[in-house]
Formats: sequence, C-alpha cells, structure tokens
Amino acid sequence: MRVRSLVVTAALLTFTSIGAAPALAQTVAELFDQNTVQEIRLSVNSRDLAKLRANTHLNTYYTADLSWKNVKVRNVGIRSRGQGSRNPTKPGLRVDIARFTTGQTFVGLSTIILDNIWQDDSLLRERLAFTFFEKLGEPAPRESFCRLYINNEYFGLYAITEEIDGDFAKRVTGETDGTVFEFHWFIDKQWRAEDLGTIDKYKELLEARTHTLDADSTLYAPIQQLFKEVNGPDDAVWRSRVEQYIDLKQLVTHIAIEQFLLDNDGFLGAQGMNNFYLYRFQGTQKHRLFVWDRDQSFQFKEGPVEITDANVLFRRAMTYPDLKDTYLTTLEGCARASLENDFLLHEIDRLEALISDAANADTKKQFASDPARFQAAVSFLREFASLRPASVLSQVASIRKGS
Amino acid sequence: MPLILPSAALLIVLTRSGAAPPAPQDTQQAGPKDPAKKKDKDKAPKKPKTKYPSFDFKNHPSVRLAKGTHVDFTARVQEDITRSEAPTGDAGELETVDIGRREIGVEGEIANVIEYQVERTLTGAAEDRWRDVYAEFKYYDFARVRGGKFKLPFSLDEGTGARNRDFIYRSLAATHLAPGRDRGVMVSGRVYKKLIGYEAGVFNHDGRNARTKNPDKVYGGQTTAERVTFHPMRNTKNTIGDISVGVAFTQSDVPEGISGIRGQTVLEQNFFSGSDYIVKGPRHRTGVEFQARPGPASIKAEWIRVETARRGQSVEDTDLSPIVGEGWYVSGSYALTGERKADGLDHPKKPLLPGWGYGAIEIAARIEKLRFHSGSSSEQGSTSPRADTILGNADQVTTFGVNWYVNRWIKIQANFVHEKLDDPSQGPLPSKATFTSKAIRFQFSL
Repeated sequence: MRVRSLVVTAALLTFTSIGAAPALAQTVAELFDQNTVQEIRLSVNSRDLAKLRANTHLNTYYTADLSWKNVKVRNVGIRSRGQGSRNPTKPGLRVDIARFTTGQTFVGLSTIILDNIWQDDSLLRERLAFTFFEKLGEPAPRESFCRLYINNEYFGLYAITEEIDGDFAKRVTGETDGTVFEFHWFIDKQWRAEDLGTIDKYKELLEARTHTLDADSTLYAPIQQLFKEVNGPDDAVWRSRVEQYIDLKQLVTHIAIEQFLLDNDGFLGAQGMNNFYLYRFQGTQKHRLFVWDRDQSFQFKEGPVEITDANVLFRRAMTYPDLKDTYLTTLEGCARASLENDFLLHEIDRLEALISDAANADTKKQFASDPARFQAAVSFLREFASLRPASVLSQVASIRKGS
Repeated sequence: MPLILPSAALLIVLTRSGAAPPAPQDTQQAGPKDPAKKKDKDKAPKKPKTKYPSFDFKNHPSVRLAKGTHVDFTARVQEDITRSEAPTGDAGELETVDIGRREIGVEGEIANVIEYQVERTLTGAAEDRWRDVYAEFKYYDFARVRGGKFKLPFSLDEGTGARNRDFIYRSLAATHLAPGRDRGVMVSGRVYKKLIGYEAGVFNHDGRNARTKNPDKVYGGQTTAERVTFHPMRNTKNTIGDISVGVAFTQSDVPEGISGIRGQTVLEQNFFSGSDYIVKGPRHRTGVEFQARPGPASIKAEWIRVETARRGQSVEDTDLSPIVGEGWYVSGSYALTGERKADGLDHPKKPLLPGWGYGAIEIAARIEKLRFHSGSSSEQGSTSPRADTILGNADQVTTFGVNWYVNRWIKIQANFVHEKLDDPSQGPLPSKATFTSKAIRFQFSL
C-alpha cells in the first residue's frame, strides 16, 4: 500500500513537472517581442550602485542579479556604457551575463545592452531605424523596450538591445568564426577613411570583439591594407583591389539607409565615421558593416541626399555607376517602404501607443521635467514620415536625370 | 656557485662536530624533580664554581653573565633549489636557486625568571624582518606571561621551527590558514600535572599569514587566540608517552575589503586569489591537532578551518555565506638511524665523519588538502565579488621527503611534491590539473 502511494505520488510529481516546463522556458524571441514592453529588474548592492552612478565615465563592472519574468540570472556583470549618453541619473548599462560565471547565459545571450535612450526625446528613433535596416535586408540588432527597475526603483524606459558579437554574427551570417570589430569614435580622431598608416592606429579605433587572442598583425593587417587601397591610385584596378577587403555594394546600401534616415552620426557622420561594427567574413580578408546606435537618426524633417562626401571610401565608390545605382535604388526602396500602407507612420503610432505609459512615468529621462517634449518629438517623427519619402524620391529622380 | 655556501658551512662544522657534546636530554624529563637523577647528582664530584661572565659553545655561542642569566647567539642560513613543472614564485620560473633565509638572533634567560628572544631576518620585506621579539615571565609554570611579537598559539605545524620541520615546506593549511606572527600578550602554562597545556592571548591583528604584499587587501583587527593541548600519557613511561591532541581557536573582526587570505600551491603560485571576494565581519579559525612520536617514528595530523563573514555584501545588501578556507594534513616520519623523534633529530647519535658516523637519516611522507569554498555546492561557482557561491578551488598535495641531519648544525632535506588542483584554470598551469616539483634545502643553523 505504502509502495503504491509512493508510485502514485512520483507519477503525479513527474506529470506536474512536465506540464510546468514550457511555462518556465522563456525564449530570446519573447525577450525581443516587438509588441511588449518588458520588465527587467536588477538587484545591485547599494554601495555598488552609488559607485556606478558616481563614476559613469568608468567601465568598472559591478555584480547584479537580473530578473525577467520567471528567469533569474545571478551574478551578472553590469557597467556604465555609451558616449554622450553616459549620466548618473539614468545610466546606460552593458550587462555581461558571463562576466563572473563562465558559460552563463540569459535566454541564450551572453550580453545585452540596456540602452538608456538618453539623447532621444521620442525614445523611438533607434527602434524605427533598426526596423528600416531590417526591412531593406540589412541585419540589425534585435531590440525591444523595457521598464527597468533597479533595487525596485523605476529607472525609466530602456531599450534591450542585442550586442553585436560572435553570436550576433552567427545569427545573421551563419558563420561561426568571423571577426567582429567595434568602432570607437574619439573627438580628436575624426576619421573619414583616410590611410592611417600603422596597425596601432587602426587598433585604437577598431576593437576586436572576437578572436581577441589573435596577433595584432592577424587582426589588423587586412584593415590596414583596406584603407591603404582605398587611398591608393585612382586607376582601373582601384575597385578590384578595394573589393578584396570590403563589400562595396553592402557599404553603399548601408550608407543609403542612413542617408534616408538623415542620421548625422553614422558612417558619413558630421564628426567623422561612427556607430558601426566591421565584420570580417570567416576565412577571408573581406569585410562588411553592421549598424549600431541609431539615436541620432531622424535629425531633420528634410534634407539633401548626399552623393559626395568628405569620406574617401564613399566618395570614390560613388564614381562607379553600378554602385551609385545601388545607392539610389536603396534610397528609393526606403522611401517606398515608408509609404507602403503608410508603414512608417503606422509604426510610429504603434510604438508610441506601446511605450507612452512607460515613457510618461519615466522621471529619469533627460528633460523629464518637460513632459511635452515626448509628444513633440513623436510629432516630429510623424512629420518626417510625411515629408521624407516624397522628398527622397524627388531628389533621386533629379540625380538620375542629371546623371 | 650557489652550493659554495652550504659546502663551506659543511667543512667548517665538520671540523667541530667531533667535539660536539652529547645530545641534551629532553629538558622536561631531566629536571631536578627526577629522583633518580637527583641521586646521581649527589654522588657526582662537585664541579668547580663557575666564574662569570663566561663563554661556552654547546648548542649556540653563549655568554653566561650570572647564574640563570645568559645570552645565546643564533644564526641560520638556508638555500633552496627547486625544480617544478609549474611556474614558481613571483618570477614564474621553473627552476630556482634561492638563498631563502638568513637570520641572526639572540635568546636567553634573565635570572631564570625571564626568557627572551630577538630574531631578525636579513632578507625579505623590510616590514617583516623582525621575527620573534618577545620576553616571557616564566616564574610560574602554570601561568607564564609573554609579550611582544611572536606566533599566535594556533597550529602544531605553524608552531614548529624550521630546524625541526619534517618537510621543507609547511603544510598548506598551516601556511595559509594559521595566523602566524603578530604583536600581542599571551598567558600560557601547564596544569593538572602538566597533562593539559594552555595558551591564550590578545593580538593586534590576526597574523602575518593573513596579509599579502597588496596593502589594499584586508585582514583581521584585534584578535583573541586560544589553544589547549592534552597530553594524556605524559606521566607514563609508555613509548607513545608524548602523544598529544589539541584544539585552537582565534576570533577577529575583518573590515570591509578583499581578503588577504590566499590559496597558493606549495611553490607559491595562486590557485585561489584571482577573484576579488569582499569580506566583512567576524573571522573564526578552528584547529584540531594530533601528534604521537613513538620511538623513531612520528605521526601528525591537523585540520584547520577559517571562516570569514561577508556581512551586507549581497546584491540586496544582505549577508552572503562566509568564505571558508579549510585544510588538513596527515604526515608520518621515521628515523632510519634510530634516534628518538621526541628528542629531536638535530642532535644525531653519530654525527658525520670524525667517529665515522653518518648523521641521522629520516624519511617522511605527507598528504594534505587546502580548499576554499562558500555557499551551496549545487550552485555554479562565480568569480563575482558578491556571489554567494564563489568559484572555489582545492589543491591536494602528496609529499615524500628524506631528511639528513649531518650534525646538529647542518640539515639537508629533499622533497618530491605532487599536486592536483580541482580547477586547474585558476592555477599556474591552466590546462593541467596535476604537476610535480622537487626541492632540496641546505640549512646551516648555529
């Protein structure tokens, strides 16, 4: 009798646990669900949090426990991140899940970014920009919104952003052994693809995020060679020499989308190149760009479409008719995608509805004392959506006519 | 070249070893209270009255200033040669020749009431050069009072001097978990017909072993230490008469910071210290020891545990599980030349050469383990400073040794050491869990 009751109890427990399993398993797709504002909670020792906020200019890691739905990850590393967006009120955070615990992941990710969206009153620009890149066939980091609570205090509306690393490269290229470089912008080193000379100069600007143990010569010689060729003689073989090292068609597509979005802090940024990752394809010396940090998109309601620039690489690529055509076709594609069923306007409406409660409750966002700024910034985006596609189509038509 | 020093010392001392006096008897058994010896003393012809001051050279060069008052001069030089599969020491070399220690000192008594010792090392860090500097009022055997800088009463192995150690290196538990020296005041004595010995003291901090060269790391504040040893067969003539068991404790409070207690391999490579675990609060040491020395053999065993609290250190500002350092060893030795271990082998029955002796030869073996851990063993360890379950590690060591006591001044030791790390990634050879080392020590003691 006793044995039988034990067997029945064991069977019931097994059944219950099997039934409960799916509810426990959260997925990365759920984390980046575009139709939800997630809730992320961090527990941080109060002294660590005070230190982090007092030293936002430093990249010191502190320990935190991260909770999302019924997933709790202990002992993750968090640090301040960003450039102009670093601040103690609403700190941007890089969350390194495996920082202190080898192999630890959060829904399969080893790192996430908690973007404080500090420099965007509308809080929507980056999300919209990434949507455009994806729509035009250019891979972009996955991103969703979240309410961030630190030690049970609401720190505001953040974006959960997928970091560009080996996992990202694998997801979008299918390669497992490519090399990812993060570009670092320095105010005193504004760079527009000139030949910088030595490997050290490139190492300073482009940090390897995979293959970190490889020799500098292995990592940086192909990049050095790329920019040497970019600045090489203007002859018949310029293109073939440069295309050994970079996918020029992908490059101009990337720049065209930036141009449509009137981003003044991208590859053709006003202060030199910025906000991109360079990816070297596995087993080759050829590179491509990945998009990053689009808070500065939609800077203006209207603006010219550039076909020349101080950037050496872009300027010289535009002298090739097929590359110029790719560029213009991509601009047209952006405009048509915006207009198709009023995609851009509807996306702005949808995202505004999604985040408005969390955004209005965000008392730590920049200019939080002026709640009207959020609405004004969203209205600005709507005006962009109304004006920009037609303007781009018209400019591209003129360029085509002229050429 | 490095062997010149021990060779010269060997030659000098060999010329004197023939004149060496017979080995002194255990002072505890040769006191005036022994009736048989008292009778012999009465029968012996009266010695001429000693003139003071006088100089003699028995165990050490000694100046006798008055009855019961003397100053003995001591010195020690030792040189180690090591070869290891793993990097060693600060420089990470595989083979080293190191004049490990040069010490000079004075010790003695004043009117048979005060015992003193001053010892200074001529090598090493400036702040550590003064070693034992103390005076002890010993009028009452049941309550001696000592003040100065000396070893906290904790651990049999830590308390054994370099001249008498069975192995070149102390056990990992004693080296890293026992406190070592500090400044303080201690009362000690023997009670209940000397069956029970006790030591209890208050010290400024919790000893030198808990500190590193890094001044940012924290260690215990004012520390109390107690040790009780029980010698159940002291008053019998049984061959294992000096069997003893003991327990020891220390208590201190550690300020907030990264703990100075380290886990290092035998040849001083970190296997647990890379992580910056923050501690705060009480630190408790507990030690249990056992020793038996029947005839030429000896067996020793110890278990030591150090627990350091981490108050308010969690991500929620609550307490974390304490960090625990735990170590044990069991060792045995046997004097092939038959000397009684309890009398010490540093006075061989037949010192080398003059009477065609060959000194005393002893073999020894030890197994030991030092481990660091905290929290739940079922959770994955983390290097986070605020992890409840830290990324612990353990080093299991087996040592085999041969000791040659050439005469009472020269001792040569050879050890073979096999180490096995639970997590080699934290050790000196990240891809290799086991490695071996060999070491030879030449020691000249005056």
